[in-house]
Amino acid sequence: MTSTPFGQRVEIGDAADIVTARRAARELCERLGFGKADQTRLATAVSELARNVIQYAGTGHCLIEDGSDALNRRIQVVVEDQGPGIANLEQALTYGYSTSGGLGAGLPGTRRLVDDFQIESAPGLTRISIALNKPF
Amino acid sequence: MSSLFDDLRHSRRSAILDEWLSALRAGAPQHTDAPASMLARSDTEAQALYDAILDALIEHQPADSRSTAAKDTPVNLTALLRQWSAEPARQGLSPAQPISGLLALKRILLRELIASPDSSRDTELPWLEQLFDSLALLTFETFGETRERMIAAQSLSLMELSTPVLRLWHRILLLPLVGVIDTQRARQITERLLEAIVQHEARVSILDLTGVPIIDTSVAQHLMKTIDATRLLGTRTVMTGISPEGAQTLTKLGIRFGDVISRATLRAGIAEALLMVDRRIAPVEARRATGGA
Ligand SMILES: Nc1ncnc2c1ncn2[C@@H]1O[C@H](COP(=O)(O)OP(=O)(O)OP(=O)(O)O)[C@@H](O)[C@H]1O
Ligand SMILES: [Mg+2]
Repeated sequence: MTSTPFGQRVEIGDAADIVTARRAARELCERLGFGKADQTRLATAVSELARNVIQYAGTGHCLIEDGSDALNRRIQVVVEDQGPGIANLEQALTYGYSTSGGLGAGLPGTRRLVDDFQIESAPGLTRISIALNKPF
Repeated sequence: MSSLFDDLRHSRRSAILDEWLSALRAGAPQHTDAPASMLARSDTEAQALYDAILDALIEHQPADSRSTAAKDTPVNLTALLRQWSAEPARQGLSPAQPISGLLALKRILLRELIASPDSSRDTELPWLEQLFDSLALLTFETFGETRERMIAAQSLSLMELSTPVLRLWHRILLLPLVGVIDTQRARQITERLLEAIVQHEARVSILDLTGVPIIDTSVAQHLMKTIDATRLLGTRTVMTGISPEGAQTLTKLGIRFGDVISRATLRAGIAEALLMVDRRIAPVEARRATGGA
């Protein structure tokens, strides 16, 4: 885990990194003054995305940053990998769709858990950006 | 055939061996509390190793020592060397310890070889190099393997410790889950729970999740599989200890545990489980009233 001026970068390569990533997310959340429920939903979202990276791309990384401005506290997380990409985004975001025998709840669930959700995917680059906001 | 290796093995054995032993002692970690028996044992070990190495040098020298097809290291030498390297690994010493001991012997033998008037140096020098190279490799390999096995064994026992299945009451089991639940851990939890169910003829098992930091889709799916398996054995499951935030998150994720009974606290879960086996916790007074009648 390395610190950047605005937050932290966690390399994702095995299951232990999932724990590191979600712990880092939870800690920054707490530091910025988000409540327990927010900490848990962000940690869970990061857990889902990081697990997908390991499961479908092998390796990747995760950036956890403080994006607060004068009006809002904001924590944003970008999870990125250079894997095969998601063939059909619409399907992947549908509850119950899984190519691995999973519940297929990870991506649609994450989208519902967070305040902002953006996904872009092509062979060689999948990037998912999520954020939680809370007014001061 | 070399007369030098023969000399070192027989007529000059004790002088050279003593030199090596004192080099070993000088390089050994200074444990003031090392029992004398341990030092004595490593002396006999070193002697046996010395003899085996010189026997190998004498008997196993390839006809053409420059041939790349090295002969296999003799079995007894391999065994001795494995023991030589596994012991420091078990004691948590650095791999430098067995290796430097081996290289100390190599330096002594090399010096003798260079000083000897023998004309067969051309074949013996590469042979000595070759043998010690393979011995050094074997030492590293054994050291690494031993450490890996130790670590695997330790994490296995840690994992077992962290998944106790407790018999809470007649036909009621309690499984307090603590920590990260990955695929391997989930499989182990299921196995242990199923075994315990059969062994105790359990009717209810309580899965307490108080110590599980995050319940994401993967953990949820593992739990569902565990619960499905217990259902096949005719046991019902009560889940306890999901935090309010956890419950909220699970709902948002769209995860439902079907007809599994869930209670916020372990206390409420135990009460529920007792009801399922037609028992209940009652105040002493009430019991006296009915029992005394
Ligand atoms: N980073 C990624 N790279 C490539 N494909 C992905 C990636 N993330 C998700 N996918 C694809 O999208 C599908 C849906 O992902 P989602 O996380 O929703 O469900 P899942 O991982 O299959 O199951 P789970 O409910 O356990 O998360 C996956 O099955 C996979 O095919
Ligand atoms: Mg997933």
